[in-house]
Amino acid sequence: MGALGHFLERQGIPTIGISLVREHTEVVRPPRALWVTFELGRPLGRPDDPPFQRRVMKTALEALARTDSPLIVDYPEHVDEEADLTGMSCPIQLGTPEISSLVAEIDQLATWYDRAIAAQGRTTVGVSGLTMEEAGKLISNALAGELPPAQTLKEAIDDLKAYYLEASSVFPGAGPAKARKDWLWGETKFGAAMLALQPKLAASDDAQHKILGNLTLIPATERFRLGKPHATA
Amino acid sequence: MVRRLSEMPEVEANHLRKIECPRYDDTPALSGKPLIERRVVIISTAGLHRRGDRAFRPGDGSYRVIPAETPASELVMSHISVNFDRTGFQQDANLVFPIDRLRELVADGTVGSMATVHYSFMGAFPPAAAEPHAEHLAGLLKADKVDAALLVPV
Repeated sequence: MGALGHFLERQGIPTIGISLVREHTEVVRPPRALWVTFELGRPLGRPDDPPFQRRVMKTALEALARTDSPLIVDYPEHVDEEADLTGMSCPIQLGTPEISSLVAEIDQLATWYDRAIAAQGRTTVGVSGLTMEEAGKLISNALAGELPPAQTLKEAIDDLKAYYLEASSVFPGAGPAKARKDWLWGETKFGAAMLALQPKLAASDDAQHKILGNLTLIPATERFRLGKPHATA
Repeated sequence: MVRRLSEMPEVEANHLRKIECPRYDDTPALSGKPLIERRVVIISTAGLHRRGDRAFRPGDGSYRVIPAETPASELVMSHISVNFDRTGFQQDANLVFPIDRLRELVADGTVGSMATVHYSFMGAFPPAAAEPHAEHLAGLLKADKVDAALLVPV
């Protein structure tokens, strides 16, 4: 992100960049940055809080007046981690032996996903162009040895991840995002499928499969689950 | 909550430490008009695009266009990284792409105006791959009379 500040400002466009990692910005030294302490993925700080987001925006844009570059302004407000007061209970006992397959699990989540769309008025599913059933079959086939091109697989996985996380946002007692991610990776057929897919991709002769398997499949925070016994996919 | 790398959970901090940052000669910050007279564009690096647009791929330094009137329901994300939260974006697109906040700042007179078109790159680009696209984009921004870019990471 800091690189873009250099590229655009050199071409005559004044820039201000939000920085999520101060140490990176200190190395890249873009012309102007507003450093925020928010979680990666949340550059404006708090969802559904327009006044908070407006304050971040305003502070950033006001720094455009300064020319003492490279400039890093430290944003004064912070966001506390969401408290998990409820504990997440999954109302349909996903990931238990009663559910026979990934595709069946996907099907069982459909009603929750529909509720989530109704609640949010939108969905972020729709990168791959596949239905969720098709995406599930693609992954089941990949596990059975038929690895599709890495990009096709990645887009299907991104869509399914969004589908699961959006569906679970309307479970009773859904809890904070962290609890839903723990559920996704630790308790679902989908999470188990990702963990089972990782060594297959890493061992593939295809360079793009290797990138997917080693870098862009399992988040750094979930890699501890690899190589451990888990529910079968 | 100050989130220096030294204060983050080890696994997260180690991942971030491994990312290689490019180094450049310092670029002087340009002076400009007061904010109330500026025309602002949002440039995200969250790998955002409209549903149906080409998804981002590893090594992709290009950008996608997001017209200002694009409804949030049309936005999807195909960033290649799995090491950031996406549930916030699922809940509220403005958390990542604050187009409605910019519209409000224009309406209340804080900002002069907003660009007709906004943009997203995918932040895991190799900088050399993005540079020609960014330089080309600068010309398009000038044609849209933009004189301030808000760069929003993910």
